[in-house]
Amino acid sequence: MSDGKRTQDAFEQRVTGLLRASASELDAATSSQLARARRTALQATGARTWPGLRYLVPAGAMAAALLLAVILIARQQTPGVIRDAGTLTTLDIELFSDAEAWELAQEPDLEFIEWAAASARAEGAGG
Amino acid sequence: MPDSLALNDFLAGVERRAFRIAQIALGHEQDALDAVQDAMLRLARGYAQRPQQQWRPLFYRILQNRIRDVQRRRRVRRRVMSLLPWATDDVEDAVEQIPDPAPGPVRQLQGAEALGALHEAVRTLPVRQREAFLLRSLEGLDVAGTAQAMGCSEGSVKTHYFRALQSLRSRLGDLIS
Repeated sequence: MSDGKRTQDAFEQRVTGLLRASASELDAATSSQLARARRTALQATGARTWPGLRYLVPAGAMAAALLLAVILIARQQTPGVIRDAGTLTTLDIELFSDAEAWELAQEPDLEFIEWAAASARAEGAGG
Repeated sequence: MPDSLALNDFLAGVERRAFRIAQIALGHEQDALDAVQDAMLRLARGYAQRPQQQWRPLFYRILQNRIRDVQRRRRVRRRVMSLLPWATDDVEDAVEQIPDPAPGPVRQLQGAEALGALHEAVRTLPVRQREAFLLRSLEGLDVAGTAQAMGCSEGSVKTHYFRALQSLRSRLGDLIS
């Protein structure tokens, strides 16, 4: 790996050839979808992003916090899952005390968060 | 006003390779299409005014970020589903449900086994190695362009690429020669 212009050996050439060939021979449906995506992007050239989008991130964090609270409550009310509420809380706080807590807070898919929260509420009420 | 014709030509030139890069990384065709479309949109909206020679590393930087977003979202979903009281262990994992990576003549002529094994081996490389390898090998970016797209130094690109190649050679050397 001396520099960016070094000569490829036979293995590299074969691997590169296979990858590029697989990229050039996409099926018609995929090619059509890519072309449609390109046209959509071109139409958006110069278009402004909806300024309200900036508020979705804190809204997503709030929804994630709500989901966590609902899950904890639902699990406490579900018989036979984990009976020790103190252990449950500690366990779940530990589960969320790593980097994934940040990932959850960044979850922009509000529809999924709301669905999961509603499902947890329904299960808690029914169980 | 950006040059729409030039942007169209650029996107048309990279879209297939970009799709394949996303598909290998994500193991899911629709997720890959979504990632490429999002990268196209973001480039068109935010960077079309930039000089054209900057488009390619910018586009691939956006695409890599989008791929990481999808992977992060999957981890979150798995985590959330595992916390739901009635959840079972059979939560759908798109990464484990890798579709046929390349239907068509290539696989028939050059060997389905070799191509499938190659896609799988690349997909399971460490993230930075996979990014460096695909940008250098499949997209054909030079070291400087790859470094721009990955947001790291040229030295890091060389290291990641070299290690990726070593790993692939040890796994596939007998199959692809």
